[in-house]
Amino acid sequence: MTDAHVVGAGIIDFGEKYDWSFEDLLEGAYLDLVESVDYGIDPTNDIDGVWYGTLDIANEGSSGAAVAHATGLFETPATHIVNACATGSDAFRNAVQAIKAEDIDVALVIGAEKMLDSTEGLIGGAALERLWRGRGVTMPAFFGMRATRHMDQYDTTREQIAAVSVKNHENGTKYPHAHQQFECSVDDVKESSTVSYPLNLYDCCPVTDGACAVLVASDDRAREFTDAPVRVAGYGLSTDSFQRGDDLALTNFPASRHASSTAYERSGYGPDDIDVAEVHDCFSITELITYEDLGFCEQGEGGSHIDEGIPHLDGEQPINPSGGLLSKGHPIGATGVAQIAEIFEQLRGEAGDVQVPDAEVGMQHNIGIGRNATGAVSCVNILER
Amino acid sequence: MSGPRYHRTRRQDQRLVGFECQACGFVSFPDEKRICKRCGDAPAEFRDVDLASSGTIKTFVVQEYLPDDIEVPQPLAIIDIPQADGSGEPTRVYGLLTETELDEISVGCTVDVRFRELFDEGARPINSFKFSVPREDKR
Repeated sequence: MTDAHVVGAGIIDFGEKYDWSFEDLLEGAYLDLVESVDYGIDPTNDIDGVWYGTLDIANEGSSGAAVAHATGLFETPATHIVNACATGSDAFRNAVQAIKAEDIDVALVIGAEKMLDSTEGLIGGAALERLWRGRGVTMPAFFGMRATRHMDQYDTTREQIAAVSVKNHENGTKYPHAHQQFECSVDDVKESSTVSYPLNLYDCCPVTDGACAVLVASDDRAREFTDAPVRVAGYGLSTDSFQRGDDLALTNFPASRHASSTAYERSGYGPDDIDVAEVHDCFSITELITYEDLGFCEQGEGGSHIDEGIPHLDGEQPINPSGGLLSKGHPIGATGVAQIAEIFEQLRGEAGDVQVPDAEVGMQHNIGIGRNATGAVSCVNILER
Repeated sequence: MSGPRYHRTRRQDQRLVGFECQACGFVSFPDEKRICKRCGDAPAEFRDVDLASSGTIKTFVVQEYLPDDIEVPQPLAIIDIPQADGSGEPTRVYGLLTETELDEISVGCTVDVRFRELFDEGARPINSFKFSVPREDKR
């Protein structure tokens, strides 16, 4: 069986792209990829398969054919993947599986989302769909419930939760593609308007449009594109529902634990081996909990973990050097692909002002909201230099 | 925006009946299914169990930012409701609190389960459970 290697990445600046269509987003990410592959690429001849991640919130491109049209890659099998907020990372995982199965040699993974065209649709859907669960249950509410419980059970402070957002906004000012380029203090987070107590505006990721693409290749083909491929060492995907009555799900995301355990097992690496990680920080509390779920610290110690500076850019194990979803933004289908792209740059030493020195092993992590609330889906990929 | 899917009046929307998996003890409410969500038994054998009319808050939030036609602030909680006879496991649900202020609720506090008309779908009333701080605890 062959390994799969990331051999190229392209991204557009994330932000408010009202004047960009879905096709513009896909074109932008794909063109950046084509232009940035070290030894170049002959698109129509080199790419054997396409995986397209989008929730298609703006209802424009609900088929792999959307990528074919945007890129000119006709007659290439193209598949549309949807898996909640883990859509991009699962599209990547599917491409990796196809390469490892030796069904194809070179895959394009591309993710895109126009979030700003239908913000009301997102909130409205969450508010009205499942009546008996309570009309008006939104994303910050689902995640905020973990914050309330974590503070009660582990004496985690409001300041520790806010510190995640402070860290990621600071990182975002150094990352060229981030949507929100400003620094904020713990007080700024605490004083920003309440969205869903205990979470405030600066605890929440912005609503962002974006697109990103990565190129994945087999052992046989990887060196045609670059001398510095990044190997996919392991991956895991899992699902869960807190309604099963697991008390861990009140404070944490058991699906993240299961998905990361699988990825650790497949790769042979453990939490201590991860030099840099891009993790799901849709809300500040999400990242703090994720430190625990991925094994970067003990259960209940997420608060002291950030207090000690370990996940800071200059800390022992930097998390979200790109600014994460909190600063870079969270265009759902693009998010996981962009995290892969950032880890690819980190492991090649090309991450500029947010470079983590000597990074050799990196992790990418998403959790998603499904029909049974937050943490219903988790996808983890581990990459190595 | 899609319309409501659960518009039929079901017995568990009218009174507190849960469904206990006879293989693992998991109690499903208000969903009445044929497969257990915890142990995966399929088909599972479920037994109807009466639930208590009050439960315990496991965690909560208070929503402040919602579409204009929904009243705020709106407290929302994950609540464990024990079985009426004290046996077996509680069921875990999430739902809205009504007539409740932020400073009245905390993790571990007891709330009453009430049935209310949430809103109507055409001519049909949509009934469901809501939770509230017991009257005697009101300040």
